[in-house]
Amino acid sequence: MHTPTIVRMSNVTRVYKQSSFEVRALDDLSLEVQSGEFTALTGPSGSGKTTALNLIGALDVPTSGTVFVDDKDLGQMSQHARSELRKRRIGFVFQAYNLIPVLTVFENAELVLRLQGVPSATRKERVMALLDDVGLSGLHGRRPNEISGGQQQRVAIVRAIASEPAVTLADEPTANLDSTTAEQLLDIMQKLNEERGVTFIFSTHDPRVMARAKRTIHLVDGRAQQASP
Amino acid sequence: MPSSISLARLAWRNIWRNTRRTLLTLAGIVFGVFFAVLTTGLADATYGDMINYAAKMGVGHVSIEHEQFIEAPSLEHTVQIDEALQKATREDARVAHVSRRISGAVLVATADGNQGVSMMAIDPANEGEETLLFLDEISEGALFARAEDRTVTMGSALAQNLGVGLKNKVVVTATSKSGDIVTAMYRVSGLITTGAPSIDRGLIILPLAAAQDLLGYEPDEVTAAAVYLHDHRDADAVTQRLAGLTDAPSVAVDWKQSQPELASFISMKEVSGVIVQALVMVMLAAGIFNTIFVSVMERRHEFGVLRAIGFSPTELFRMVNWESFWIACAGLLASALLVTFPYLKIAESGLDYSKLIEPGMEVSGVAMDPIMSIGIYPVNLLIIIAVVFLGTMTAGLIPAWRASRTEPIEAIHR
Repeated sequence: MHTPTIVRMSNVTRVYKQSSFEVRALDDLSLEVQSGEFTALTGPSGSGKTTALNLIGALDVPTSGTVFVDDKDLGQMSQHARSELRKRRIGFVFQAYNLIPVLTVFENAELVLRLQGVPSATRKERVMALLDDVGLSGLHGRRPNEISGGQQQRVAIVRAIASEPAVTLADEPTANLDSTTAEQLLDIMQKLNEERGVTFIFSTHDPRVMARAKRTIHLVDGRAQQASP
Repeated sequence: MPSSISLARLAWRNIWRNTRRTLLTLAGIVFGVFFAVLTTGLADATYGDMINYAAKMGVGHVSIEHEQFIEAPSLEHTVQIDEALQKATREDARVAHVSRRISGAVLVATADGNQGVSMMAIDPANEGEETLLFLDEISEGALFARAEDRTVTMGSALAQNLGVGLKNKVVVTATSKSGDIVTAMYRVSGLITTGAPSIDRGLIILPLAAAQDLLGYEPDEVTAAAVYLHDHRDADAVTQRLAGLTDAPSVAVDWKQSQPELASFISMKEVSGVIVQALVMVMLAAGIFNTIFVSVMERRHEFGVLRAIGFSPTELFRMVNWESFWIACAGLLASALLVTFPYLKIAESGLDYSKLIEPGMEVSGVAMDPIMSIGIYPVNLLIIIAVVFLGTMTAGLIPAWRASRTEPIEAIHR
């Protein structure tokens, strides 16, 4: 069975200009991610993991090379079109959870669906089912400051995947969690990947995440050094 | 696209993230509204009282008179005010009274002396407190009963200067319409004591028909018809309407033309009041701007996240606009709750500043009431509400624009 390619980066270089020098965050990087993958971008600090996620997430554009997400060339898209792409096809999970403190768990989780204009009944049905899947049923009315860090990160995952995006990007999702909570979170993401086919790309240097990844791409100085399998 | 309701709800919760800061901002709005309502209410009531007072000193809110009468208030400059014109004038619902009068300078003589004074001839059947304030200030005797009577009422100080009292005779000398010197003798029926020197020392009131007879006027001939309005703010519109009812040399003039000093005084005061209010509003807007701007800058990281998950710049702009909207609404609601009672309390009693002014102080011949009344016109209240609302919305525009310019990468990784 043919598995569609969700992300295709070809000879991507990203150079940041700082006052008197340039930083080559990515250097001629090429990679592909197929639908349903559970991929980890690994490497030391400054290796380009976050830059790669920013480019795949349509938050940034390459200095040279091309980035295709869901068959759309990000370099050719306007800011508005990239904003629409993020809203409809890309999910984000951040290291620091980044929930909106004035919204409840349910309201945070349904936020992207709301942005997409999904009807209220559908939103409620889909979000409540996902909250149940990640073990947060009964907490939907709480505010972020009323639940633990691990629970907040689960809400962030539900927010990211509720709209069934083509790819979900997770930037160091376990960095702020204790090991037990991190393992629980990885269980949840793995389950979502296996049962719902959610495509995950992580940036991480957490060995636990690397151990769970079906594929690891190791970056050094903005280049892919090795990939497994 | 999120519905407006969801953005509105998010914005409403956002403004209460920092309760103390929002309450301080609302307190600023309440203070601004209270200041604006109080000063505008003082101006509306005080200037309204002065205009009405001036009108009831003889000229009315609008008058129909000879086109040269303002420049040269001579007894030769007369107009014909017939019953048809009076009826047409009264048909306007904005008009309360129409009084025909003769005004001019005459010489009053007695055995003890003589004095040049202002003369006003009136029809007592058509006058009262609502048209001439000083008719309520008769200290001795009474006003003549009929327009045909051969009696006069005069200022008490004038009577004293001329050495006359009730029922004594005075001789009035004037220049007739044809330019002849004419004289008639009258008995004093009443004395007026108002406290205003211009009346007590220099006014004599004659019966209208008797004065017409003295001056050789026709039955409908007078120097002016004073028109009194229910609301002085209608003076311009009524003047324009009356201009269409009169033919040259008759003209309709409003109180601003007949009382130019008073009009200038009020205009100057209104301008200075608007400047002070504008300064307060600018300071208020600066405070609101500061609140919203700081709130936006504190949330740059969050705006970056919102941009990353799909919020467009326009949606962020609209969300901060909604925050301005809620601050304006909450501020106006708080103002309604907190300003209404003290305003009504002050409006009920007025502000007593009798210790600050001299007794009998006049402005352009109009006595100042030592109790300042307060009563804001509804239209001015609506203007204050609109200014506060629009000022708050405007103050939020730059912060909203800054929010919409958030670059997700920069904001998220701060």
